[in-house]
Amino acid sequence: MLIPHPLLGPRDAQEFTYLGDATLLDRPDPDAPGAEAAFCDYVFLRDNPAGVHRELWFHEQGDRSWLVVTRDTVTHEILGAELVRDVRAGART
Amino acid sequence: MTRLTGGLIDRDTPLDFTFNGRSYTGFAGDTLASALMANGVDLVGRSFKYHRPRGVFAAGSEEPNALVTLREGARAEPNTRATVAELYAGLTARSQNHVGTLERDLLAVNDLLSPMFAAGFYYKTFMWPRAFWEKLYEPAIRRAAGLGALSLEPDPDAYDKGFLHCDLLVIGAGAAGLAAALTAGRAGARVILADEDFRPGGRLLSESDLLDEAPASDWVAAVHAELAALPNVRIMPRTTVFGVYDHGIYGAVERVADHLPTPGDGVRQTLWRITAKRAVLAAGAIERHIPFADNDRPGILLAGAMRAYANRWATLPGRAGAPVAVFTNGDDGHRTALDLRAKGVPLLGVVDTREHAQAFGDYEVFRGATVTGTRGRRGVTAIEITRGGKAKWHDVGALAVAGGWNPNVHLASHHRGRPVWNPDLLAFVPGADGPRGLFPAGAAAGQGGTGAALADGVRAATAALADIGVTAPEVTLPAATDFASAQAAFWHVPGKRRAWVDFQNDVTVKDITLAHNENMRSVEHLKRWTTLGMATDQGKTANISALAVMAEITGRTIPETGTTVFRPPYTGVSLSVLGGGDTGKHFRPERLTPTHDWAAAQGATFTEVGAWLRAQMFPRAGEDHWRTTVDREARAVRSAVGICDVTTLGKIDVQGTDAAEFLNRVYANMMATLKVGRVRYGLMLREDGHLYDDGTCARLGEDHFVVTTTTANAGPVYRNMEFAHQCLWPELDVQMISTTDAWAQIAVAGPKSRTLLERIVDDTDLSNEAFPFMACAELTICDGLRARLFRISFSGELAYELAVPARYGAALMARLMEAGEDLGVTPYGTEALGVLRIEKGHATGAEITGQTTASMLGLGKMVSVKKDSIGAVMSRREGLAAEARRLVGLKPVGDDAPIPAGSHLFIKGASRTLETDQGWVTSACYSPGVGSHIALGYLEHGDTRMGEVIVAANPLEGQEMAVEVVSPHFVDPEGVRLRD
Amino acid sequence: MTDLTPVTALGDATARQARFGALRLAERPDVGLASLALRKGGSAPAPFGLVLPGPGKAVFGEKASAYWTGPDQWMIEVPGQGTGDFAAALREVAPGVSITEQTDGFTVFEVTSDSGGASIDALMAKLVNVDPAALGPGRATRTGLHHMTVFLVRRSQDRLDVIAMRSFARALWHALSVAAERLEG
Repeated sequence: MLIPHPLLGPRDAQEFTYLGDATLLDRPDPDAPGAEAAFCDYVFLRDNPAGVHRELWFHEQGDRSWLVVTRDTVTHEILGAELVRDVRAGART
Repeated sequence: MTRLTGGLIDRDTPLDFTFNGRSYTGFAGDTLASALMANGVDLVGRSFKYHRPRGVFAAGSEEPNALVTLREGARAEPNTRATVAELYAGLTARSQNHVGTLERDLLAVNDLLSPMFAAGFYYKTFMWPRAFWEKLYEPAIRRAAGLGALSLEPDPDAYDKGFLHCDLLVIGAGAAGLAAALTAGRAGARVILADEDFRPGGRLLSESDLLDEAPASDWVAAVHAELAALPNVRIMPRTTVFGVYDHGIYGAVERVADHLPTPGDGVRQTLWRITAKRAVLAAGAIERHIPFADNDRPGILLAGAMRAYANRWATLPGRAGAPVAVFTNGDDGHRTALDLRAKGVPLLGVVDTREHAQAFGDYEVFRGATVTGTRGRRGVTAIEITRGGKAKWHDVGALAVAGGWNPNVHLASHHRGRPVWNPDLLAFVPGADGPRGLFPAGAAAGQGGTGAALADGVRAATAALADIGVTAPEVTLPAATDFASAQAAFWHVPGKRRAWVDFQNDVTVKDITLAHNENMRSVEHLKRWTTLGMATDQGKTANISALAVMAEITGRTIPETGTTVFRPPYTGVSLSVLGGGDTGKHFRPERLTPTHDWAAAQGATFTEVGAWLRAQMFPRAGEDHWRTTVDREARAVRSAVGICDVTTLGKIDVQGTDAAEFLNRVYANMMATLKVGRVRYGLMLREDGHLYDDGTCARLGEDHFVVTTTTANAGPVYRNMEFAHQCLWPELDVQMISTTDAWAQIAVAGPKSRTLLERIVDDTDLSNEAFPFMACAELTICDGLRARLFRISFSGELAYELAVPARYGAALMARLMEAGEDLGVTPYGTEALGVLRIEKGHATGAEITGQTTASMLGLGKMVSVKKDSIGAVMSRREGLAAEARRLVGLKPVGDDAPIPAGSHLFIKGASRTLETDQGWVTSACYSPGVGSHIALGYLEHGDTRMGEVIVAANPLEGQEMAVEVVSPHFVDPEGVRLRD
Repeated sequence: MTDLTPVTALGDATARQARFGALRLAERPDVGLASLALRKGGSAPAPFGLVLPGPGKAVFGEKASAYWTGPDQWMIEVPGQGTGDFAAALREVAPGVSITEQTDGFTVFEVTSDSGGASIDALMAKLVNVDPAALGPGRATRTGLHHMTVFLVRRSQDRLDVIAMRSFARALWHALSVAAERLEG
């Protein structure tokens, strides 16, 4: 597979380490009521869609950026890739 | 040797070779198959199941029969297709799958017993008694059925791998491929033209068609020369593109030296990973045959293959001078008759299944006729032609069979692409849902005529280039004609005798009928029941015919019956080349410590820790048991001073105004309160609350820390810290980078360690007051060498770790040895390190398994409840909080003996069940400090059971021993020494 | 001046060199290296007069070079600084950023070609899955090579620096020399 790195262009997937569902970006508030249940959900429960999936990839043999890659798990088509930095910055504005 | 005229062989370069020990001569340009044929050798192998005599059937990589073992000794390669083995001087080959000689195979008796060996016979016959399967049936079957045998010697040759990138990959260098490459090459695109043959041209080399009224090989040579001169085109002969992977990545094997006796200093094959923006699949087509009674004799070939042998290699199978017949269901077969006639070969005529078949020249046509039988023990000598119910035998030397062409859709179906039935072509063509960016062209797309293929190659390349924004120039193609291509849907000749569909697996029409009768109705079941389409050729010449037979039996159409799709690889790929040459020591690169050479010079033995090689121990002369060495090294640390390279521990440099806050969130314990110039032990959890890693964290400045990790987790911890920063807390000002390799870090441990260090540091007070336990400092040693000193202890003794720039590591080690000679300084390795830490009850990977909690280590209180950190919330959940196992020490009761690591712990007298299991032994060793064997383990409520005698049991190996529960701190439990 | 004697990453007293046809390999233990990372929201300094380059790029000054290693991160290198305190020297010319000494964290192998860029491109094709066309002069990248992670810095058509973690020095030298020998030997 080729991952379209937003800064470096298409790079072979072998340079990356895969983590999984990008919902891992949404770490629950540890002080909120029901935090334990929220963390259980966060840590253990994942959707496993046959289709479009947002997932985290780390450019380990590269620039050490974490990326959010949107991939169709059926066809392996990559629909987009963003730096997590930009995703987080966007989420705050 | 009999040769026809012409051909693309170099008659000035004769090449000697041997087959089954007999010497023959061929020419440069020959394959082993063509050379054997030219030497009159038609019997080249025995069939898989019935051991029937078999000869060459095809002229390419689809060959089902002519499998030989090429080369000898360690280089012997079984199941090599003679049809693609390029002849070289001194080639040696042997036939396979016979007991006794090829001519008198003792297992030919199987053919007489064939009623026993019908489809599915394995499944039915060898059911009972059950115990016979492993002992009798399977070994016997494996001996009798099976193709070539491995040499069982290590492969002596080198292999390689590589990576290529291009705009357009053209797969196949026949008419369509050459036209595509020419189009893209002239457009200035970066082109790779790969072809499995050693000579470009594809079918153009095997047909007699003229291009611009000259032999096609002239045009091929001109195009080849033009492409070779273009810097943007890479021509790769002897290269098979075997698989299509995601996003335009293709796997290919280049047979660099398979056409040479040995690769010499070079490599034999190279595995290429090709990243192509677009690709043209110009892989051609594979001819199919028409099953009829006894159609598997040597001398019966595909009609296109017969033309290839005649036109390209100037040879023919069968008895010289005997007439050749053609059996066809369409016009294409007539080309063979014309070409053979042109070469002066006597013809019996063309047996055409069609009532109104045309003759294209001066030869007899048996219209509306079929071949219904053959004779000839080691090669066909006669065929039975049946017309209008009347059968007549005719003497022949060889028979060509033309059943139509199947586009080579293999690669187009790799991404679940489904081939589509084309009723006009009577063939499956690539569907629209094949791999993205792969453009089928020419015969592979059903455009098999010479002129059509050329034009289609240009079309496909133009379309592929347009896709990436490149405009292709007009390409003027040579004048070509397409031979007539009408054909009838005629799939097999009905009859009572066996008619082979899949030669390699000995599957006949009868077998397919039987499978159907036994309710194997899907193609997939048919394949598995009959083994059709399996083994080395993967049914390249059989699958579609089998499908057609099945369709006929079931009364369905072929597309209704199904299709076969393909997976990589297109042809067999050796494991050696898949390894890409990384074998032995170079299978995985080693990381060497800065003191590696020094340790080796001291006679150290080494052990692998991840990719690292670490000194395991430093045996002295006369130490004839490893324990003698390890005990001595451990004692030296407890009584004097030892030195050990600990560079392999991960070091991560963390800076930034929020570095302290960041580390507070990464470590379970409080880190922000750490003072500059101090070190703290830290625990990292996973977000699920389990222990992840442990190490020390040193604060070198207000906003500058050095985090150490375990050797094994250096990479993952860094990755997780980047995750924590980039993904969770990007608002923090923190920068981090690994510095593991930058510093040679030496542990200096033992009561005399301070004395030793005082001799080499420059102007730094190392007294307990000035530099207490858990202090750290940047300083200089040995007259100005910058260094870092940490007062930390893994052994429990007074100890330090001293870091210097890595290039000075070996010199520092030598200097410490020199300076501490009178102190009894002793280098120690990982074995003694392990003993020392077990004696002290310090955890490593054996304790931090991914399923353990901080409380289990007795460190539950370290997990701060005053702050958030990774894993903090989940560490408090009920399941983890209720965890009652605790780290304990264990000592043998009674006679001393090793405590088996991995043993499980039980109350004395309890049964050995999961319910009664109370924990397990994590680490064990002999302790020179204690004077007996000791162990660490997790035991339920272990912290409250000191002095209790329990049982450590390893039921798998029948081991058990009584052990006493003691403190995990066997040495200095109060921790006085390391603070002294 | 310390009286301890340094060794190169390959374990030798002096830098190793080898020639394979048109390709030359040379160990460069003299190169001082330090990483430079911007503080959050900080602006890029111009150490040694270098304009720190964008993603995938390198700049080569008279005295020093820099290549991009990640967002807001660079490696700075100066020849002849192998045994000094290069990070300290860099801190003086680049205040207000995070600097980490890396001289001994890595080993720099210089590959030069006497026959132009094609030999270097061919060598790359045997070792790294990076399109040589995308790694022309002034480009730098990090990628995998035989299970190692390396920086590739294309200083010119005929010179490529391959930089790996110091502990991999022998494995990398082996990989480079085997590949070079097969191409040119």
